[in-house]
Amino acid sequence: MIKFNHVYKIYEKDIKALDDLSFSVEKGEFVFLTGPSGAGKTTVFNLLYREDIPDMGTILVENSDIAHLARSRVPYYRRRIGFVFQDFKLLFDRSIFDNIALPLVLTSTAPEFIYKTVNDAIKRIGLEGREDVDPWHLSGGEKQKVALARAVILNPPFIMADEPTGNLDEENAWQIMTMLDELNRAGTTVMVASHNRDIVTRMGKRVIRLERGKAVE
Amino acid sequence: MRWLKEVFLNFKRTDFMSLVSVGTIALAILALGGYYLINQTLNYIITKVEQKVEVVVFLHDGFDPQKAQQMVSDAKQIDGVDDVMFVSKADAYNNFIKDPDMHDIMKSFDGNPLPDSITVKLRDYTKETLAGVVKFFNAREGVEDIQYGGAEIENLIKIVSAIKLIVGIAGIIFAVAALLVVSNIIRLTVYARRQDIYIFRMIGASESFIRVPFIIEGIIHGFLGGFIGWGLLYTIVNVLINEIRKQTGMDFSGFYLFTPDYFNVRFMLSSIAAGSGLGLFGALFSQGRFFK
Repeated sequence: MIKFNHVYKIYEKDIKALDDLSFSVEKGEFVFLTGPSGAGKTTVFNLLYREDIPDMGTILVENSDIAHLARSRVPYYRRRIGFVFQDFKLLFDRSIFDNIALPLVLTSTAPEFIYKTVNDAIKRIGLEGREDVDPWHLSGGEKQKVALARAVILNPPFIMADEPTGNLDEENAWQIMTMLDELNRAGTTVMVASHNRDIVTRMGKRVIRLERGKAVE
Repeated sequence: MRWLKEVFLNFKRTDFMSLVSVGTIALAILALGGYYLINQTLNYIITKVEQKVEVVVFLHDGFDPQKAQQMVSDAKQIDGVDDVMFVSKADAYNNFIKDPDMHDIMKSFDGNPLPDSITVKLRDYTKETLAGVVKFFNAREGVEDIQYGGAEIENLIKIVSAIKLIVGIAGIIFAVAALLVVSNIIRLTVYARRQDIYIFRMIGASESFIRVPFIIEGIIHGFLGGFIGWGLLYTIVNVLINEIRKQTGMDFSGFYLFTPDYFNVRFMLSSIAAGSGLGLFGALFSQGRFFK
């Protein structure tokens, strides 16, 4: 599914964000990416978002070298990945319904299908009846649930979550991790960057630990 | 529909800046429309004045009428000449005394003081045509004097050209200013929504999905600005026409530029099109930094 092959990323002279990083994630796996600040987790995610490209090495996602994706193909690549961020990255000037519906709108999905699919998703995250509420009025946990619902609304084969529990209390953090686990059990490949040792330990999943841009599994 | 929703959200977020953008386009359209009206009016006046330009060639007293007729026939061959007429001294005298003011003056002379003359009407008023006619008659026997309003016309054209230049420069300055203001306001809108743009990108929005609302926003600013600019110009022109009518009794409402068919329909549509064009180009110019 994902294969980092001798990847280097050098941001400034002599500062290697990634230093000959190699690892792979199989289809259907649940993997934690851990490590101290500056270890290279964000760089890995930026490369996987295709926000950036490696200076050396290859990154294969579903057997395609994403560094060589044409700029016009990048949006289509991103639609196959569900992104979840620590700070939710919701659009605060539109309703919960509109936030979750956005990926479907991008793909010109029929309005009736959007209506049904989004309402089902809202029901699953327990926000039924609050479809028209702006994200301002939600708790941190609810916001992250909306972000997760948006990330999976297109049924992507791969979910990347960057510190998804970083702004949440223990109960909400655990709920989010449970939802990610359920998605994984349904066949979705999940990669989570996390500092939270307790959650990483309790989940009992494979861990890729990064230190100074290298993988230490 | 989706794009209109995005445009509406942009308007909501940047209501004051949107008003500034619409207002600037309205002023630019007012200036450009004013320039167009002034330019057309001046061209109309020049054409009318030019059409009245005649070259009058006075002949020596007693010049052979047959030679004069020959001169008339030859002059008709000159490029740009519309008509050439021989006016005998008797015809000239009869014309003069028809004018009550001239009647007494002419009667004070012993006999007819007027010479035979040839009147040349020009088809196209140009310096070259005029010079050709003057050169032709200067080289002929029997010509005493050649008169034409050339110097006055040249002065008028110079003044009109200067006015057109000044108004034109003002129009261009307003248009460029409008373009910059619209461009910068849309750039600010883009800046204000940079986080949203980032989110759109992350969830797989195409560039057109992100950019088109900003372009539509520019066009809507331009559409509204163009309409308001036309409305201002319409009001100003009507106030001026009424004032001139009151002060001088002259009625310009029938002038072709101010007829309803032209000023209310064609001019309005052109103003809206020009405003929308300004908005569109302003939006396209703004699509730089934040979209890289």
